[in-house]
Amino acid sequence: MRKVYEYPKSRAAFERACKIIPSGIYGHQGPTEGCYVPVEAFPFYASRAQGSYLWDLDGNKFIDYMCAYGPNVLGYNDPDVDEAAAKQRKLADCTTLPSSVMIDFADLLVDTVASADWAFFAKNGNDVTTCAVMTARAYTHRKKIVFFKGYYHGVSPWTQKIDYAGVLEEDVANNIYVTWNDFDGLQEVFEQNKGEIAAIIAQPYMHGNFADNELPATGFWRKVRKLCDDTGTVLIIDDVRAGFRLDIAGSDHYFGFKADLICFCKALANGYNVSALCGRDFLKSSVSSLSYTGSYWMSAVPFAAGIACINKMKKLGCPQLLIDKGTKLKNGLINTALKYGYDLHVSGVPSLFYLRIADDPTLMLHQEWIAECVKRGVFFTNHHNHFINASLTDKDIAETIEVADEAFRVVKDRHS
Amino acid sequence: MDERALAYINLFAVLGGLSELCRLDGECWKLIEHKNISIGICVKDGPEGTIRFENGVCSVTPGVDRCDIKLPFGSCKKFNGLIDGTVTPIPSKGFTKVGFLLREFTKLTDKLTAYLRPAEGALEDPQFFEISTNIMFHLILDAIAQVGNEDRIGRASASYVVDGDVRIAIDGGPEGYLHVRDHRLTAVHEICEHPMSYMTFSTMKSARELFDGKVNAVECVGLGKVRIGGMISMVDNVNRMLDRVSMYLA
Repeated sequence: MRKVYEYPKSRAAFERACKIIPSGIYGHQGPTEGCYVPVEAFPFYASRAQGSYLWDLDGNKFIDYMCAYGPNVLGYNDPDVDEAAAKQRKLADCTTLPSSVMIDFADLLVDTVASADWAFFAKNGNDVTTCAVMTARAYTHRKKIVFFKGYYHGVSPWTQKIDYAGVLEEDVANNIYVTWNDFDGLQEVFEQNKGEIAAIIAQPYMHGNFADNELPATGFWRKVRKLCDDTGTVLIIDDVRAGFRLDIAGSDHYFGFKADLICFCKALANGYNVSALCGRDFLKSSVSSLSYTGSYWMSAVPFAAGIACINKMKKLGCPQLLIDKGTKLKNGLINTALKYGYDLHVSGVPSLFYLRIADDPTLMLHQEWIAECVKRGVFFTNHHNHFINASLTDKDIAETIEVADEAFRVVKDRHS
Repeated sequence: MDERALAYINLFAVLGGLSELCRLDGECWKLIEHKNISIGICVKDGPEGTIRFENGVCSVTPGVDRCDIKLPFGSCKKFNGLIDGTVTPIPSKGFTKVGFLLREFTKLTDKLTAYLRPAEGALEDPQFFEISTNIMFHLILDAIAQVGNEDRIGRASASYVVDGDVRIAIDGGPEGYLHVRDHRLTAVHEICEHPMSYMTFSTMKSARELFDGKVNAVECVGLGKVRIGGMISMVDNVNRMLDRVSMYLA
């Protein structure tokens, strides 16, 4: 039996944080949004990271399958990316005039991403999804945006729902929600809102929470593309989460269609903070017309890191490498679950797999199993998709499966 | 704020609090111990319900078909005025029993107000604290159901809730659940046998602090004062309804 982790230092730090930081850790990396069930099973703070590993404040080591919720695509502290960033830092980073490395990065993205004729940079995924929606509205002079239910496109008011704290009805008044993969429903919405829809915004496939991730139905994207073409609607692909883990040329390319605008962030620079909106030529002038900028959006270090990251991903054949590693892990986990009579669903593309034990619709059994994995050094989360990074070794995968096996045994014993 | 949704909350949650009041407060129980009487409240374009006192038990149920005293209200706003104390009701039925309205019922509602809006320092009395928190717990459960069913934005939250039971409980204290079917919510004041999800409070104190808006639910989950689990999306949406409950009850 493995050592079962405890987290006294994480707990003490969290109590300290709660006094001076709203909710201690806000957002997706906090225990509530992160669905840490029970909270005692999870560490709250990291002390260091390397490759596929994360150490918490108490010195516990984890194989980290969240990868900072995506940015860690090559491995934490990748030497090539860090070296490129360090070199640029010596020259210039946040300066009055932007560095020309910004042009080099844009050049590389235009060469790499199939639907990119240009690149616009910001910091977070939300910055570029917002930029994409503003661009679509500027270009079409229309208000309405179509979303697929279960979406996540950031945290700006327009991305939230009418019942969320701090969101006004007016913020979401022009949002239309349709069911993923329901092309007939989508067509109906277009009929009802003729000449009013500026854009469809969508992730390349449905990676919502609390349910298995769902790939596009055959022909779905081809039909959506045609509908947008026929109605003069801008097709925005939010590739913030999946970008470069399916296809180095963009997830639209992976699924065989061309987006008008495509948003990247997480895997773009292996943890250096930069996001990018890429798009087709006919929208370049509309982006130029926006009043849209930020204090750090032209910092040079993340651009240099991004160049090194993309080049290394290409060199490693990254999307396929990540998919292969994910597939190996997926098969191992499913077979281990079967040993104990559990039906573990592993959905989505294996490089960003989603886990769910399907035997219990309440998900409580699943939460128990995840908790036992985390306490033994495999950092999974309950209801978010996971991420594979290139530094993950066969040994790591084997160890993960051993931990999963022990966790299944513990859960099985508890319920027998 | 929607007057109609508020009327539903006032009838089925606030006046619904009389049930727990009569169960937990000895003096209140004595007032109704030997009473068999019912008050029907009929609100135009709003809720209809009957507050029934029978064999020492108070219950509030939908409909006014079999009531002894009937109080009609021309609008939701007027009924809400009754709860605010700005409107005096005139019965359309049961004039001979109006004495109950003026004596016992008024005493009960005054006591309910004392528990729901405690005077400064009142909560320091452990017995008062316990009764007040119990009443509030059940009232909030009912109010969440009304918000999810009757408030426009609450219905948006309910539209994301899958079928099943959301268990809500205070460890060592009251418990109940929200039964959800086709995005309609029913508050059930019983033990939940098969929860689809749960939200439990570790102590009466932590529940009270959350109800009173003194602490934040997200922080409480991190600190282990509130435990959530199961189909957490249900709990998440119930919390959004709970936020609106505090707006209506403020």
